[in-house]
Amino acid sequence: MTPYTGPWTSAEAAHLLRRCTFGASFQDIQNAVGAGMLGAVNQLFLASSMDEPLAYDVGEQIVPLGQTWVSAVYPTNTSANQQTEGARMKSLAAWLAKNLNQESLSLTEKMLFFWQNHFGVSTSGDARAMYQYLQLLRQHALGNVKQLVKDVTIDPCMLLFLNGSTNTVFSPNENYGRELLELFTVGKGAQLAAGDYSTFTEQDVAAAAKICTGYIVQGVRSDTQTQVSSQFTLVLHDTSTKTLSYHFANQTISAAGALEYANYIDVVFNQADTALYICRKLYRYFVNHDITSWVEQNIIADMAQTFVANNFEISPVLTELFTSAHFFDISVRGAIIRSPLETLCAMLNTSNTTANFDLQSTYQIYLSMYGLADQMGQGYAAPPSVAGWTSYYQAPAFYRLWINSTYIKKRFDVANLLTSNFYNVNGNVFKIKVVDFLNGLSAPASAPQVIDDLCLVLFPKDIPAADKLAIKNILTNGLPDFEWTLQYNEYLADPTNPVFYNPVELRMQAVLNVMFKMPQFHVC
Amino acid sequence: MKRRSFLKNGALASLSLPFVQNGFSMQAIAKQLFDVPKSAEDKVLILIRMNGGNDGLNMVFPRDQYAELVVQRSNILVPENQILPLTTEVGLHPKMTGLQTLFNEGKLSIIQNVGYPEPNRSHFRSMDIWTTGALDINQTSGWLGRYFDSAYPNFPDAYPNVDYPDPFAISMGSEVSTTCQGLMGNFSHAVSDPFNATNLLLTSVTNDGTYYGGQIEYISTLINQTNEYGQQISSAAAAGNSLSNLYDPLNPLAVQLKYIAQMISGGLKTKVYILNVNGFDTHDAQVDQNDVKEGVHANLLKRISDAVRAFQNDLQLLGLEQRVAGLTFSEFGRQIASNGSMGTDHGDAAPLLMFGSCISNGIIGANPQIPNQVNNQAGLPMNIDFRDIYASILKDWFEVDQQVIQSLFEQNITYYDLLQGCTNSVSEKPIIAQQKPLVFPNPSLGQHQLKFMSGQEYLEVFLIDQNGKVLQKSFEGQLNNGQQILSLEIHTLKAGAYYYLLKSGSRQELVSFQKL
Repeated sequence: MTPYTGPWTSAEAAHLLRRCTFGASFQDIQNAVGAGMLGAVNQLFLASSMDEPLAYDVGEQIVPLGQTWVSAVYPTNTSANQQTEGARMKSLAAWLAKNLNQESLSLTEKMLFFWQNHFGVSTSGDARAMYQYLQLLRQHALGNVKQLVKDVTIDPCMLLFLNGSTNTVFSPNENYGRELLELFTVGKGAQLAAGDYSTFTEQDVAAAAKICTGYIVQGVRSDTQTQVSSQFTLVLHDTSTKTLSYHFANQTISAAGALEYANYIDVVFNQADTALYICRKLYRYFVNHDITSWVEQNIIADMAQTFVANNFEISPVLTELFTSAHFFDISVRGAIIRSPLETLCAMLNTSNTTANFDLQSTYQIYLSMYGLADQMGQGYAAPPSVAGWTSYYQAPAFYRLWINSTYIKKRFDVANLLTSNFYNVNGNVFKIKVVDFLNGLSAPASAPQVIDDLCLVLFPKDIPAADKLAIKNILTNGLPDFEWTLQYNEYLADPTNPVFYNPVELRMQAVLNVMFKMPQFHVC
Repeated sequence: MKRRSFLKNGALASLSLPFVQNGFSMQAIAKQLFDVPKSAEDKVLILIRMNGGNDGLNMVFPRDQYAELVVQRSNILVPENQILPLTTEVGLHPKMTGLQTLFNEGKLSIIQNVGYPEPNRSHFRSMDIWTTGALDINQTSGWLGRYFDSAYPNFPDAYPNVDYPDPFAISMGSEVSTTCQGLMGNFSHAVSDPFNATNLLLTSVTNDGTYYGGQIEYISTLINQTNEYGQQISSAAAAGNSLSNLYDPLNPLAVQLKYIAQMISGGLKTKVYILNVNGFDTHDAQVDQNDVKEGVHANLLKRISDAVRAFQNDLQLLGLEQRVAGLTFSEFGRQIASNGSMGTDHGDAAPLLMFGSCISNGIIGANPQIPNQVNNQAGLPMNIDFRDIYASILKDWFEVDQQVIQSLFEQNITYYDLLQGCTNSVSEKPIIAQQKPLVFPNPSLGQHQLKFMSGQEYLEVFLIDQNGKVLQKSFEGQLNNGQQILSLEIHTLKAGAYYYLLKSGSRQELVSFQKL
């Protein structure tokens, strides 16, 4: 792939961070400029630390508030058991939203979401299983994809979700075997004949189902077991030799007990289609929806080659992509419509706005953020189907499916909410820290520079001068620029005095309110 | 393929309104209290913001004190014989012939020396005070927003709807107006051109042929299509009419007022229109040094005068005069003495203008007193509190219950006769705020004040829910004669309607409020 050798300015750094994080601040962009392209890209692969979800809701009846429930049993009593599960799922949802909002400058959250969309799991019946599953995705988010697919195959949450836990030699269930091929690895191609999908056939689905038989799940909502676990049970396993279709050169998979599924996945990853399929999905996630024949031949092919050459480690593939000429090409900048979660986080993370109140208020705010994204059309860990969100695969509209008449109104409602002083939870007001945002810009006392900096952070491309002027007039309240300078300097001289602070905050709220409602904010 | 079921166990059912805990829940009793009278439904208020701090002394001249003006601002002072006389004591800037005509027709009034206590000469802080209608530094809702919240409490959820298809307020330009900021949303809709009333706030989006261009074009098209207010506005403007030939197409204010005449005559039910005129921050070259009746400020005054005159003429021809009234405001006036740059610096009080055929015409309030010697940087002191002007407009024009009006403002209101030109009722003397107890602010979020007059009495205050159940005793104690203010916490209350019962040996009074 042709490496990028053009200028490395704040425009390129901002593009990289917009695509690879859930929202970068002005300072983050400047740091990335200073680090150079390679330094900035390498930074994205550093591991980030993570806490565990905590009990905060009174429905939790086992663990004291403020402690984690991820390895705690459930109550015996049915109703108490259900209430505890409800409390834990709320805690998990809030924690997921918190992680997006409080991410470090890392690809981890972005890739965790990629895999979460890729595997499409949306239910488990046990919050601990969902937590374990998401931690598994996090563990491999920037790691080895072949290993990830192997581990997901026998993950309790996946076994429950796609019926692997009831897939036995006596009663094979093809649900997982089909999706493993169709959605997770080789992908489904054109239908060549009845039951033949170019990359696999119904014979392969049946074989995959048999290969994966024998795993059962234990401990769901158990009052004695502290974890949900999967266990291989030989008597439930199909020990016959399975023959694959001509797409797999009629290879056979011989009985290998608990490791048979892993041997099979090695074979699936030897198919050229697997690398190509996953690389296309990565391309649509990070670059553009439109895979032209040029892109297929020059970008996807190179990505797949790197993927295979590195034994399915994903970091080399992404590093190559994020340092390529194509990634920074002006023709693909601003080509992606922000998903609801990306939109919500772009409103908050660009200003480093986080909720830091008492445990219950903080979790309630983050649960409510989860709900806001859900209302805009994207509940984290709750894709509409196992294929993930349609925006990432449904031709020809792709990302445009994120926005319709209902969702655009919700996006504006959320913009109104977060730029007001009225988002009140238990007496705690949650709002964008607009004055901190302002103070982090290059020249807060200069109205034109404030607008330039905000456009850099929020918009993928420069906007017309007339638009900038209109936004600037909102900042200055229609006054000459020097009046803003005076006002800002008065605030700076006495920063805690509300007589100076509040007007500055109000102007910035008005500016962000307008910018969040511009079409340019909703693309990245 | 499985249906999504993450968090479908009821845990998130309460998230349908995540904005504020529990959301709104207005009760029937509150609705009765806040119902809008039929006769007020058609009333329209025009607000013209003179942005930057209008030099009132170069707009409305105290003719009886011309000699003192000569002492204080000779370098910018309009010659005495060119001032347009309104009364023997008051005159207008020579460029405001249009408003002189309106005054003579009884369609213009001047409210003298309007301001607020302890003036702040920062544009930003002062404009926030004028738009919120409050001195409280923490108040961020607008004065009209609070009124709209009380009358239409579920906004913006479920709006527009069949009963209220049109925006409550329209802000001409690209920004919604802070005057209309409500608790959950801004009641104003920004409109640059009603014939193309997108709510794209800025210039139109052009598709440059890239993926990016295609995406933003798609989004902006969708925004337009789903902009229900925009369609209402455009069809009203198209159905409307304009009959006056006095509008100057090169005067931007005139163009906007003509749009407004078209929207009103086209049947739009919008109650408030807000317009903005920039450029009043005239620190230097306020006047033309060769001819002081010309210059930047003169041009701005002419623009307003000509545009309002044309608008009023149009309303008359359209038969709409009795439905529309207007008010100007600015964040402050300017200092009495001019500076050495042919300009004036930030000051304090200034006159407001009201126009319309229903105004109580004339000059309201006494002329400012111009001393022969002024302290350095002196502005004109306030004589009339601007919040009382707002309150009086709500009372006279929108016929809002006085108890409700008092709950929207922090001061004890003094009402002025401002808009009684079309009513037969005997004009009331300014009255001091009613003596009934009141809750401020109302609706309330976390805490509020209960204000009431007490005698020598041992008083108990009970908090009662809408079913009449006593929830707690909020206060008890021996009181003396006078105004009492209790600060009360209501964080823990669920959203809904409540009462305080004030009970002593001599009285038993109820006051209602809403918890959001």
